[in-house]
Amino acid sequence: MSFEWVFLISIAAGFVGAMSGMGGGIILIPALTLLGLDIKHSIAVSIVSVIATSSGSASAYVRDKITNLKVGMFLEMFTIVGAIAGAAITLASGQRFLYLLFGIVLLASWVALLIQRRMPEKIGTQQDRFSKWLELSGSYYDQASRETISYKANRAHFGALLMFGAGLVAGLLGIGAGALKVLIHDLVMGLPPKVSTTTSNLIIGVTALAGASVYLAAGMVDPGLIAPVILGVVTGAFLGTKVLVRISNQTVRNVFLVVLIVLGLEMLLRGFGVRL
Amino acid sequence: MIEDSKHIHAANENVAEQESMNSMDVLVGYILLIGVLVSVLLIIAGTVWNWLSAQSLTTQFTISGENYFGFLISSLHQLLTGAIRPQLLISLGIVTLMFTPYLRVAASMVYFAFVARNLKYTLFTLVVFSILTYSLFLR
Repeated sequence: MSFEWVFLISIAAGFVGAMSGMGGGIILIPALTLLGLDIKHSIAVSIVSVIATSSGSASAYVRDKITNLKVGMFLEMFTIVGAIAGAAITLASGQRFLYLLFGIVLLASWVALLIQRRMPEKIGTQQDRFSKWLELSGSYYDQASRETISYKANRAHFGALLMFGAGLVAGLLGIGAGALKVLIHDLVMGLPPKVSTTTSNLIIGVTALAGASVYLAAGMVDPGLIAPVILGVVTGAFLGTKVLVRISNQTVRNVFLVVLIVLGLEMLLRGFGVRL
Repeated sequence: MIEDSKHIHAANENVAEQESMNSMDVLVGYILLIGVLVSVLLIIAGTVWNWLSAQSLTTQFTISGENYFGFLISSLHQLLTGAIRPQLLISLGIVTLMFTPYLRVAASMVYFAFVARNLKYTLFTLVVFSILTYSLFLR
C-alpha cells in the first residue's frame, strides 16, 4: 500500500470520473482492493473523496446551470437517511457480500452504459398536488438557448422514495451515485438536464458527508490513505475537466466500458471467494 | 389573455426567485471551492512535512473512532496549544473538507429563513441539518 500507487490510482479514478460524469468512486474502490486494501477502508476513504469532488465542482456548476434548492433540500431529507443506513449496513456486513454487491453494481452500470441512448428531453409540465404544495417548480434563463425555461417537478413522493434508495447505495458503496440520482431527477421527476445535474451535485455532497461521518465515527477513515486519495482524485478530476473537451465522448465511453466490465467481473469473483 | 399574463407573471416571479437563490449559491459555491483548496493545501503541507522529517510520504496515524465534532475539537485543541505536527495538518485538512457540505446546508437554511422567508423549506432544511448534525455527533 504505497503512497505512490494509491496516488496514481486515485488520479486515474478522478480523471475518468470527471470525464465520464459517472464519478470516480465506482472505479476507485475496486482498484484499491486490487492493490490489496481492505474494502471497507476503501469505501470509507472514497466517500470522503466524493465530498472533495462535489464541493470542488459546486462553483463550476452554478455558473450557468441552475440548482433548484427546494428540490435538493426536499429530496436530501430522504437521501441522507438512506446514506446513514447504508453506511451502517456496510460496517456490519461481511467482505464477500460487499464484493458481490460491488460486482453487481459495476456490471449493471456497464449494461446501462452500453444501452444508453439519447432520451428525448421531456420537461415536466404536469404536476401532482403534493409536488405543487412542495413548490417544486422553477424557471431559469438558459444562456445557451436564450430563453426562459419553466419547469415543474412531478411525482415528488416517488422521487423521494427512490432518492432514499440512491442514498442507501451511496452510503453502502462509498460512491456518489450521481448517475443514478440524475436519472431519478430526469426521468422520474421531469427536471431539465441542467437543473438535474446541479441539484444532484448538491445532494451528492451532503449525502457523502452523512455517510462519511458514520465511517469516521467507526474509525474506518485512515489518514494515511486519505492523503494520497484526496490529492489524487482532486488532481485527476481537475485534469479530466481540462481534457474533457479534447477527447471524444465515444473514446471515454469505450474506456469506461472496458474498465467497468473488468472490475465488475473481478469483484464478483472475489464475492464468490475466488481470488485471481 | 388573463391566463397568459398570469403564467408569465408566475414565470417571472420564479426567475427572480431563482436568481436570488442563484446569487447565494454562487457565493456558497466559491466558499466550498476555497474550502476544498484549503483542505488540499493542508494535506499537501502535512504530507511534505512528514516526508521531510520522517522520510515517508505516508503519515502514520489513526483517527480513532470518534465522531466528527470530537475530531474537530481535538484538532483545534492541538492547534491552539501549539502541538503542530504533520498529522495535525492532515487532520485539519480532513476537518475542513468535511465541513464544506455542512456549511452549504447551513447557508441554505439561513437563506430560506431570512431571505426567502419560507417556513416550509426552513423546516425541511432544518430537518436535513439536524440529521446531519446527529450523524456528525454519532458515537
